[in-house]
Formats: sequence, structure tokens, C-alpha cells
Amino acid sequence: MTTRLCPAGYKYLGHSYWIKPLFPAIETVSENNNQKTYRAEKPLIRKSELLVTFIDEKPQAAIEDILKRFEKAGYICDQHIATSIYLSQKLDKPILVEGPPGVGKTELAKATAELLGTDLIRLQCYEGLDESKALYEWKYGKQLLYTQILKEKLRDLLEDAQGLEASIDRLHQFGDHFFSDKFLEARPLLQALKSEKQCVLLIDEIDKSDHEFEAYLLEILSDYQITVPEIGTIKAKTKPVVFLTSNNNREMGDALKRRCLHLYIPFPDSKREKQIIQARIPDIDASLRDQLVEFVQQLRTQDLKKLPAVSETIDWARTLMLLHADSLDADLVRNTLNIILKFEDDIDNMDIEIPKMIAAAKKAARA
Amino acid sequence: MNRPLADFIEMLRYSDVPVSIGEAMDAARTIELIGYQDRALLKTALGQVMAKTAEEVVSFNDCFDQFFSLNTELDLDTPLNSNEAPIEAPTAPEDFPPELGQLDQTVQGQGGGDGAGGGSSGQQGSDGAPQTSLLEMLENADRAGLTMAITQSADSVGLSNIVLSTQRGLFTRRIMEDMGLGDITQEISDRRSNERETEASELERRLNILFEAVRDYVDRQLALTASGKSNEFRQEVLKKVRLSNIENRDFKVMREMVRKMAKRLTDMNSRVRKVKNRGHLDIRKTMRRNIAYDGIMFETYWKQKEKDRPKVLAVCDVSGSVAAVARFLLLFLYSMNEVLPNVRSFAFSGELGEVTDLFNRYGPEEAIPEAIERFGGRSTDYGRAMEDFRDLVMDQIDNRTTVIFLGDGRSNGADPRVDILREIKNKSKRVIWLNPERKNIWGSGDSEMRKISPNCTTVEVCNSLNKLELVIRDLLKTG
Repeated sequence: MTTRLCPAGYKYLGHSYWIKPLFPAIETVSENNNQKTYRAEKPLIRKSELLVTFIDEKPQAAIEDILKRFEKAGYICDQHIATSIYLSQKLDKPILVEGPPGVGKTELAKATAELLGTDLIRLQCYEGLDESKALYEWKYGKQLLYTQILKEKLRDLLEDAQGLEASIDRLHQFGDHFFSDKFLEARPLLQALKSEKQCVLLIDEIDKSDHEFEAYLLEILSDYQITVPEIGTIKAKTKPVVFLTSNNNREMGDALKRRCLHLYIPFPDSKREKQIIQARIPDIDASLRDQLVEFVQQLRTQDLKKLPAVSETIDWARTLMLLHADSLDADLVRNTLNIILKFEDDIDNMDIEIPKMIAAAKKAARA
Repeated sequence: MNRPLADFIEMLRYSDVPVSIGEAMDAARTIELIGYQDRALLKTALGQVMAKTAEEVVSFNDCFDQFFSLNTELDLDTPLNSNEAPIEAPTAPEDFPPELGQLDQTVQGQGGGDGAGGGSSGQQGSDGAPQTSLLEMLENADRAGLTMAITQSADSVGLSNIVLSTQRGLFTRRIMEDMGLGDITQEISDRRSNERETEASELERRLNILFEAVRDYVDRQLALTASGKSNEFRQEVLKKVRLSNIENRDFKVMREMVRKMAKRLTDMNSRVRKVKNRGHLDIRKTMRRNIAYDGIMFETYWKQKEKDRPKVLAVCDVSGSVAAVARFLLLFLYSMNEVLPNVRSFAFSGELGEVTDLFNRYGPEEAIPEAIERFGGRSTDYGRAMEDFRDLVMDQIDNRTTVIFLGDGRSNGADPRVDILREIKNKSKRVIWLNPERKNIWGSGDSEMRKISPNCTTVEVCNSLNKLELVIRDLLKTG
């Protein structure tokens, strides 16, 4: 596991020591007619080097470190989230992220990808998603086209073969070209497994998929491998960092849960939400920011069909910035309430409460 | 795996957090990584490894706080004679030869049954033995030694078997006796008779502190294992007990159980899907399937799938004769309504009415009394109910519908209109009649079960949760 995190161009010496060789590693690229071609590998240090530093530190320090890095990347999180990132790295486990919509479940995966400096491969789940869309598919068109084109060639090949048996024997010599990698369309899951460098795989809204698909995921989640009937078992070249998100539309199976770490992200408290707004919209006036966060915090205590999430707070903050508002007032809130509340009923119900809530929000912001 | 973790996992399992072996191993690795020093961090980390739903997280947090708050408080001031050399760790009472304990017939009478109980009290006769006696530990205020002795004695008297809070006194006493309470009382009375009053009262004071500590220890142990166990115990009993005998206070526990049961049943069965042979052809899948046949479509694949969920109409008798069980039948109806999408529920005593809407709108605490209020209280008239049922929903019954009746079939002499029931049976997939009465009193008095039973697909006695579960499982399996 540690070697995996060793940055390219460094050499792993064990016990979390890396050394950068004086001369870049030399790699054989091709070899034909005894003439070797060499290519010097660039001593490339990716962003993921950042992760290397924390991975062998003391856990407390490492988690602090992750927190700071996330913060630098514009993702404000708490210790829970940082701990689960740390654990998933250490235990090689996927993370099942749950929580109400809009608290940054998907953002977490994006931020992690950014932190690691790798690609994010995203698989959006929906009812009816099957392995041909999630994992792989044969390129049927290409297969058909090639058989048509190659018909002539085949005739040539088999011309001098005597009888059926000989023809079949000859065909066997050429291997299963039509069911090889060249005709395989890799979908997100396979892409993640085939990726040369460690990538972040996000399986979004897993609760929307079917039971069959959930069962299909079990192999990839526990062993980081997948079995394709025509080809065999494909193992991950580098183990991806896997996130699964769920809105709890349905209960996930125990087998899936057992394989994952479980992370629940609730709505943030007002202090954290202020930090988030600050990180996302740095230009915002501090007093306005405090007021609007307190207002949204109060909204969340009301009986609403849909509670406003962090993403809605951010949108609202952007809107208020656009309108050059410097503090909340009843008319302003009324006119822009549709940005944080998404149901007509909710907006109507809150209408009379607005002045009271603004007053309370201002008081809380001052405190 | 180390002992505390194993204990903790056992505790979690009792508190409804099902920790699998895989998760336990992950937990062990997590502890290796993080260590026990940082409690908050350990809690977060272990929580993510072991608790996998919101409810589990809540139980986990409770368990964690309880489990890792074990620190026995023993404030015994300074040792009396501080010139004493550092005390070596006390050996386990089991190390003593049991004969020694038996030879020294000590003060304690009842404790003699415990082999280990007599063991440490054998200390009395052999003064100056290398082992530290309870007396010495008390005199020296040897906190670590005492704590260890408590733990050991708790082990040897089997404290982990404690289930009920009424056993607290018993276990406290047993542990104290195992630690050598007899010696100390003896010593106190000796000192008193030798007129060393201050020393005696000091020793007594310390003994009381020790008593407190042991009691605390027992309390905590009870909280650890017993709350889970006794809860499980209670649930086990509730499952088997007759519905009519369940008391009001258990209603809440019952509701949770019924809900879980209904959910489990539907989870188990909602996966059944039938592929329809009509509608849109799924070209992609069909081609893929038929590639082996050179694209000639032998096997077709259709886009439409049908979720095979039973359509259920449930009718519940809420009249006086079944008053005792009506609440629970309604509760089950309610839970079924929650988990199955196609349930319509009806209640009747005299006239019959639909309660689906009521169930959808309110929680069970409001909806069930409301249903009884609205439809209950009158004398049962199955004939009337059947007529109402026919008028309300007969045209919606088709060959996929299951009709469930919950009632005792006592019609107060009125014609139960089994002709309607027969009609229902003919139109529907099946009719299930669940009767809370025992089978041998069916047909006695005003019970119409003999007329009713031929007109139903199945007639079952249903008077406990276990029975109810069996019936419903059967229903869903073939649904």
C-alpha cells in the first residue's frame, strides 16, 4: 500500500522513506532487432505527493493534515470526514457517504480527486442501470464491420485447409481477436480498474440503482476486481479510492454496507457553514454572510417539505451578492426565498415568519 | 483480537448493531492504527467502521460512551503505613489451592459454595504470606491492586451473566465475598474488641468505599451487557406471547418489532421481478444475447419489467369481542401499509370503512385509536361488513389481489353473508382469514368459522407475532 503512494521518480525504501534518485529512472520502451530504445522518465512529482506525507504520520496529525488540505482545496469539512478519508486509505475500503441532498457528498469525491491530483471517474446510478452501461460493452458495430471486411482474408487463410477440422484448427491459431480488448468498450467501473494511476471512483446515488446492480458491485468493492465472462478476471492496476453516495431512497443491502466505511454527513452547524460560504464566496461581506447563514440555520428548524441544503445557501449567498445586498430585510428575503425553498407550500408557510426570523438571525449573527 | 474489543463488539451486538466478522477485523486494524489514546478520534473511526445506519450510529455512540467510561473510582487517601514497600500485583484467587480455602472455615457461610470464594479468605490464617490480602490493599490504599482484584473476582463469580437489575445486590455481595470480605469484618470486630476504635472505624470507612466501587462496577456491567440482553429477552417473550396478553406499556416495543418484521418481509420479497413478454423490445440486449446465433433473434429481451408485488386488501374486525387484539391487528395493518405499496385497509364492527387514508396521514399512536373510535364499539355484524366491502371494492378485486380478514368470525347471530365471501374468493387470487381464537372453539356459540372457512383459501389461527410473521411471509412468497 505504501509503495503505491510513492510518487513517480522516487524510490521507496520502506518505513515511509522515499528517496529521489539523482538520475531519473530509465525505462525500456521498445526492443526490436537488438536495438534498445531508452526513454528517460521525467522525475515527475504529482500533487499526490501531498498525500504521501500524511500517510505515515501519526493518525491525529495525519487527520489534521487532511483537514487543512481540504480547506485549501475549498472544501470545509469536519473531523468525521477527514477520519474516514484517512481510514479508507489505510484500510483500503470504499466509503459509503449518506446524508440529505446538497450537503456536499459528491463534492467530497471531487475534492478528494483534486487533493490526490487524479481523475474523477463518475458513475451516475439510476433504475435500470446494468453492467453494459456501468462496466463494459462489446463494440458490436465494430465487430460486425470487421467480420465483413475480414471475410476475404478468412477465405484466403482457409483456402488450402482440407476439411472442416483443419479449418477450425487453423482458426484456433489466431486467438479470440473479436473478443479482445480492442473490441471492449470500457465503462466507468472498468476504466477505474484499468487506470494506470490511482483514481477516484464516484458511484453516485447508489440507492437509485437496482438490487442486481448492487450485488454486481460487491466484487469490485471488496477485491477491486471484476469478472467478465468472455475475458476473465480483471484486477485493478492501482486500487481506486471509491466513494458511494446515497440519499437513503432505499436501504442498502448488508453485504454492501459491510464492505464499506459508513460516513454520514449532516447539515453543518452555523460556524462551519459560515466557513464554507467564506471559502466558496470569498468576497462576501462578513455581516451579510453571518446573517444569511443564521437565517438558513433557522429555516432548518422549521417544518418544511425540503430543508435548504448547503448548496442552496451558497446559491443564495451568490444571489444576494449579485443584488448588492449588505444586510437581510423582509422584502429582499421574500423576493429571493425561492432560491432556498423549492416548494410553493414551504414558501407560503414561511412568509409570515420572515420578519421574525430575520430579527432572530441578525441577533444571532451579532452574538 | 484483543479482549476489550471483543467485549465491545459483543456489547454492540446486543444493542442492535450487527457487527460482522469482517467489520470486527477492520475495527481491530483501526485500533492498531489509531490506538486508545485519542478517544474522540477512536469513536469517530470505529463508528464509521462498525455502525452502518443512522440508528446504528446512535446505539454505537451510547455503547462507546458507556464502555470506555469504565474507571473505577477508589479514593482511599494516603496509605496508613507509607513505609510499606511497593506492592506486587496480587495473584488471582484461583491460584490458591482450593483445599486451603476449605481448611480455613471462615466467617462467610453462603459464600462457601464458590470454590474461588473461599480461596482468598484463606489469607486469614497465613499471615505474612507473599500475596497481598484485601486488608493490606485497603490499608495501603493500593488502588491498582484493588481494581484488579475487583475485576478478577467479578470474573470468577460470573458477573457477565447479570441480566436483571434485581441481581445487583447479589452480585455486589458475591464479589465482595470473593475478595475476602469475611477477613475484613473479622478484622474490624477484632480491632473493636481490642479497643482500637480509630483503626477499626478507618478500616470500615475504607471498606464502605470499596463497597461503593464494587456496586458501581456491577452497575456498569449491568448497563453494558444487560440492557441489551434484557431488551432481547423481552422481545423474545413478546414474540411468543398471545397478542391479547400484551400490555399497553409494551405497545411501543411491539410497534418497533412489527415494523422491523414487516420491513424485513417486504425487503425479502420486493426483489421478485417478472419479465413481461410484451411492450418494447430491448434491441441492445436482444442483440447482445443473440450474438452467439449470428444476430438471429432467438431469444428476445423486453424492456418492460414488472415488479411483482402483491395487491393486498386487509379487513380488520375492531368490535368488542376482539378488542384485546384489535390494536395489534391494526398495528400490523398499519405497518404493512407502511412497507407495502398496494395495501388498502378497512376496519369494521357494524359498518365497514376504509382506514388507508387515516394510516397514511397519522402516526400509529393517533391512527389506531382513531380507527377503533370511528369503527369500533358496535356489535359485530359480518353480513353488514361484507355488503359494505362488496359495495366499496368488489370491482377492484382481480386475480392478483389478496384479501386478508382479521377477525374472530363471531357475528352475533347475524347472517355472515358467506355468499359474498365466496364471490370474493372466486374473483381474487386468494382469501386469507386470520383468527385470533384457538381452533377448538371455532364454531362454538355465535362463531361462524365453520361457514366461513370453506370459502377462504387459507384459514389460520393468528394470535402471536411469530404466527403473524409466518402467515405474511407465506403471503409474500407466493404473492
